[in-house]
Amino acid sequence: MTNALAATRTHPALRALLRNSWVLGVWLLLGALLLWYTTLIPVFGPFQITSITKNSLPLVYLAIGQAIIVIAGGIDLSLGALLLLSNVIAARFMEGQPVGVVAAIGLALIVGIALLNALTGYIINLSGVPDIVVTLATSYIWSGLALWILPSPGGGTAPEMRWLFTGSPSGIGGSYWPPLLMMLIPGLLVALWARTSRPGLTLYATGSNRTAAQLAGLNVRRAKILAYAIGGAMAALAGLAMVAITGTGDPRFAVGASATLNSVAAVVLGGIALTGGVGNVFGVVATGVTLIMLNPILIAMGVNSNNAQVIQGVLIAGVMMVGGLSAVLRERRS
Amino acid sequence: MSGETRIVTGRAYRAGKAQTWLAQNPLIALVIVFIALFLVTGAVQPNFLSVNGVRNTLLQAAPLGILAAAQTVLMLTGGIDLSVTMIATGAAYVAANQSPNGAGVAILAGVLVGLLIGSINGVGVAVFRVNPLIMTLAMSGILLGLFTAWTQTVLAGSTQVAPFIKLLGGGAWMGSVPYSVLVWGGVALVVIWLLRRSGWGRLIYAIGDNEIAVRLAGVRVWQVRLSAYMLSGVLAAIAGILLGGRTGAVDLQLAGAFLLPSVAAAVIGGTSIFGGVGGYTGTILGALILSVLNSLLTFLNVGQAIQQMVYGAIVLALAWGYASLTRRS
Repeated sequence: MTNALAATRTHPALRALLRNSWVLGVWLLLGALLLWYTTLIPVFGPFQITSITKNSLPLVYLAIGQAIIVIAGGIDLSLGALLLLSNVIAARFMEGQPVGVVAAIGLALIVGIALLNALTGYIINLSGVPDIVVTLATSYIWSGLALWILPSPGGGTAPEMRWLFTGSPSGIGGSYWPPLLMMLIPGLLVALWARTSRPGLTLYATGSNRTAAQLAGLNVRRAKILAYAIGGAMAALAGLAMVAITGTGDPRFAVGASATLNSVAAVVLGGIALTGGVGNVFGVVATGVTLIMLNPILIAMGVNSNNAQVIQGVLIAGVMMVGGLSAVLRERRS
Repeated sequence: MSGETRIVTGRAYRAGKAQTWLAQNPLIALVIVFIALFLVTGAVQPNFLSVNGVRNTLLQAAPLGILAAAQTVLMLTGGIDLSVTMIATGAAYVAANQSPNGAGVAILAGVLVGLLIGSINGVGVAVFRVNPLIMTLAMSGILLGLFTAWTQTVLAGSTQVAPFIKLLGGGAWMGSVPYSVLVWGGVALVVIWLLRRSGWGRLIYAIGDNEIAVRLAGVRVWQVRLSAYMLSGVLAAIAGILLGGRTGAVDLQLAGAFLLPSVAAAVIGGTSIFGGVGGYTGTILGALILSVLNSLLTFLNVGQAIQQMVYGAIVLALAWGYASLTRRS
């Protein structure tokens, strides 16, 4: 035991592995689920991989954004509403436009919604009102705005845009590389940026102890605004992915609300503490996919969709209970 | 010249004093906001400025106020319950299902459902230390799945509630005071008494303020937390039964729209989401303000989109105003 401990102290690779054990765990869990899924259905091929990756894109993006905000010590209940906003603006203005215009609208949405959410972060700093309350209020504003822009489902986007997020110009079938890369590249980039860059580490420091970070000379207010801006950009990406997958815009309030709640669930399951400052962004990519995959798996097992929802809830609560219990036991022992 | 300066400073001094006074009595500020909103609504719809208008406001505010009571108690401990609306819907369903056996059995069954679900939430949060946001969120998903399945099986066809529950939710005592407002008044008295006068209430505040200190003082914190979630479940069930009575028929969307307002009412009323600060009196005013705001937006007939935006903006403005008012003191 002592030898093993000493070994971990000396071996940096093993130490890094142990530090990220939760991330490794959730990726292994996802791998196991995938393997199990292949035995459940008669044919498992590129079609299934495409469908799983593309359908989990919106939640994965939203969860990455939420993860960055939670790491910086906040929580954003308006991400789902921002997803709606991005989704309806894209669907309304991209329909029938050439590729160049569509790309410009997409980029403008990412930048614009990032700025919009940076404003939310600024308001939180300025007002001293807790994050959860401010973002609850802004979630009403943004989803109202979304409904105003697109009163009923409709609109569309360019085939190239659909290819980018789904691997096929029509959104059906196609290659799994585009959605897979669109999922892994942002996930890896944000995770690396957060763990290695100076502003990224500032987010961790701010979330873990705001006062200490401030006394150490970090600009904690700017860190919060930055985190919210990244969250906004990821929500905009999620909205774009949504319009690419479904081919239309959907302004329903419930879509945004459930997306927000799922993003919080993915973040917590991904090992990021809601108290801030702890966790790795890359883990939430796996938990986001896992949350989306549970449904087809349970349906392949012959469970109906209502019971699937029950099982999903029980699993989330169960995993958190095991985590909480082990923390309590560790506390007792020490 | 110098006299003028003195007058200006005097006026500034008086303004500062008024602000300090308001900061020390933030509830007065809420009352002013409520009256102002009420008058604006009256200006838009003159019929609103009547006994009927007041009655409708109270009737609308009652279920919201009771749900917000659950939220207030939990927020004081540093918790939150995102499953209140699903508990309310579930309780209303079970009450409707038991309605053929009489109103008493129906109400009791509904409340028991609330108590049971609240206990499960409480065990998860207090014993297993699951984050309350996640625990109640997962519970909400579980309940939605269960009740969607059950409405096609064991609860099939039970959409009508007993006449007595209808009377309780929509009827009025002696034709003027709605019964649901009387129920709300009873709930308010009990909750305010519990929070202000009982030892349990003091523990609720203390846990929200400093849980470790309370534990070191020898309190079994998990028992207090568990009981708070049980109370929350019961309150949500009562609100659900009233809502079911008001609409007469029960469906899965019965209480869904109340989730965010229930949190907002407590926050506007000055209860801190981090625990330890606040009380139910403020929440009552918060619920009243939100329901007048709802009436105002309905009368303005601006469409759902604008309604949502204005609602969000005003909730944000009220929370901001409250925070800056109380921070200065």
